[in-house]
Amino acid sequence: MPGDPKPILAVEGLSIRFRGQSQDLVDGVSFDLAAGETLCIVGESGCGKSLTALALMGLLPQPAARISAGRAVFEGRDLVTLDAEAMSDIRGNRMAMVFQEPMTSLNPAFTIGDQIAEAVRRHRPVDRAAARARAREMLDRVRIPAPDARLDEYPHQLSGGMRQRAMIAMALANDPALIIADEPTTALDVTIQAQILRLIRQLQAETGTALILITHDLGVVAETADRVAVMYAGRIVEEGPVAAVFDDPQHPYTIGLMASVPSLGRRAGRLQTIPGLVPAPEAMPAGCRFAARCPFAEPACTAAAPALAAIGPGHRVACRRAPLESHVAEAAA
Amino acid sequence: MTAPAETVAPVLETRGLERRFVTHRPLFGAPTVVQAVNGVDLAIREGETFAIVGESGCGKSTLARMLIGLIRPSAGEVLYRGRDISHLPAREMRGLRRELQFIFQDPFSSLNPRMSVGRLIEEPMQAHGIGTPAERRARVAYLLGRVGLRPEHAGRYPHEFSGGQRQRIGIARALASGPRVLIGDEPVSALDVSIQAQVVNMLEELKDEFGLTLIVIAHDLAVIRHMSDRVAVMYLGEVVETGPVDAIFEAPAHPYTRALMTAIPAPVPGSRPETAGIVEGDVPSPTAPPPGCRFHTRCPFAEARCKTERPRLAPGPGGRLVACHLAGRLPDFAPRTLAPGLTSGAARRFGLWRAARGGDVATSKIPPAEERRP
Repeated sequence: MPGDPKPILAVEGLSIRFRGQSQDLVDGVSFDLAAGETLCIVGESGCGKSLTALALMGLLPQPAARISAGRAVFEGRDLVTLDAEAMSDIRGNRMAMVFQEPMTSLNPAFTIGDQIAEAVRRHRPVDRAAARARAREMLDRVRIPAPDARLDEYPHQLSGGMRQRAMIAMALANDPALIIADEPTTALDVTIQAQILRLIRQLQAETGTALILITHDLGVVAETADRVAVMYAGRIVEEGPVAAVFDDPQHPYTIGLMASVPSLGRRAGRLQTIPGLVPAPEAMPAGCRFAARCPFAEPACTAAAPALAAIGPGHRVACRRAPLESHVAEAAA
Repeated sequence: MTAPAETVAPVLETRGLERRFVTHRPLFGAPTVVQAVNGVDLAIREGETFAIVGESGCGKSTLARMLIGLIRPSAGEVLYRGRDISHLPAREMRGLRRELQFIFQDPFSSLNPRMSVGRLIEEPMQAHGIGTPAERRARVAYLLGRVGLRPEHAGRYPHEFSGGQRQRIGIARALASGPRVLIGDEPVSALDVSIQAQVVNMLEELKDEFGLTLIVIAHDLAVIRHMSDRVAVMYLGEVVETGPVDAIFEAPAHPYTRALMTAIPAPVPGSRPETAGIVEGDVPSPTAPPPGCRFHTRCPFAEARCKTERPRLAPGPGGRLVACHLAGRLPDFAPRTLAPGLTSGAARRFGLWRAARGGDVATSKIPPAEERRP
């Protein structure tokens, strides 16, 4: 990243394989993340975006899935080689996670206050009173009204939006350098989603925490990301500054995805579509994994996987046909 | 897609429609009652696509189910072609269901996993005594082709298909009895964007081919804008604004409609310059809705009157109805840039994609991809 030679997280060639399969489902994912930066990983179901997040947190479903190759260096340590104990010292401490449905990640049997205080005491030598004070401070920080009362409430007593705020409070309680949020607003109504996205932006400005936000929603990407990585069938196909990817989309999958989103403006004919389906995990095609659905594919595309190569400042694309205009005749406008 | 004229008689109409659910009945004291739908008057015109939008708990799914008699109203009536169907005996209602069909959000849970796709699509025809076995089989094959599947898929089972393909099966089943009205409860919201676009296009083609009236329940405003002629916005069981989709999207009149338009994240970086306009707070519980205007607890414009007096739907600009005491007195709504691909670079690439895909591609022309387990 410009002005920051040393990323807090450097992922290199990260690959994930499921037991009994001969191919990597997530294949050679690489990206850097600078302090305070927001990277959105966007893609459709099964593209490997959530698996990538789980792998970074050391939470891959065991023993079904394992990291088959690659490194992920976070604050100088390779997360791939750390043992479970070292990983649990980092998790919830230097690196925290926010999930889509807070009800499944909050313990229904304990109060919000107890759960945040417990997260603090797991990593810091503080007494109960100090941990509770920290929990109260965090609820205040995430703009939960009447934090003193909320401390003693159970997760089911909170609305979906308030639970997600509590989850964010817990994630931030130990001043992490990195938060990984997997579809944090997908289960929320749109007016509540707007509140939570605004909260995330405000907190990031206040704390300088780096954020990896996993989402399927291009609107959420446009509103939160500094940089965006587009994943398709286990690979990053395009990556770059958010303005570059939206204004100058290069990979045919990125273009097709953006063109398929209905506009909020006046209707302009039928929606564009991407033909066909995502390949099944057990039958990933050779070469470019998008080739079978790509209207621009040529025979060479199925021969070898294209490398993620620079096409503009900080903007990379894995397509041998990029930029498209130099290979495809443009239709008369 | 031309909006039918005002003069066309409504195919479905609701008058003062209400539905209450008792969620908790204690041994002593008053039961907890949810007023899911509270006094809804709607008129849906023959041949149009009508959307009902709102957030969770607004009553849109309950309303949709009452429209085709899956749920009985607590008060008020539902008129289908001028006849009140809300109190029909079960047997007559079953006969009517041939004309009023439903598409569910999650096609997997709405398709019997032990029935083959062919049986699933044939069943409604059998139930309504339509055709001979040979005619039914021919129609199954035709419908499968029409929703972008292959006739030989009739022998397979729902679990062998992807989510998008299962929704196609659900649509074929809904079309089997030859309905006049199709109601979809979030029919595309569980699908990925690229698959969603295929199914949206397909629904529009089927609507034209079969002369359907389409009612779509959705929370995705972009899908609604794209698909529908008219829209009703619901909040806590009440319709707060309804009218032509372009008028409402370009100049929303109700503060809640404005809040929805402001809240939606648009796929255009930098299109939300500030956070102003985001409504605060949570939706109040439908077991204890606020008095007066139900939105007044979150409304930035609320006045004293809004807290006590329920606003009624009244005519507003552009052929809409709006239920707000302050209608016409609110500041102008600043429209946002909401369409992706506005820059020349993106527009150019979208043009290349469109050209390579052969312009407006009908989904039925897409060769069916190999089916797979999810």
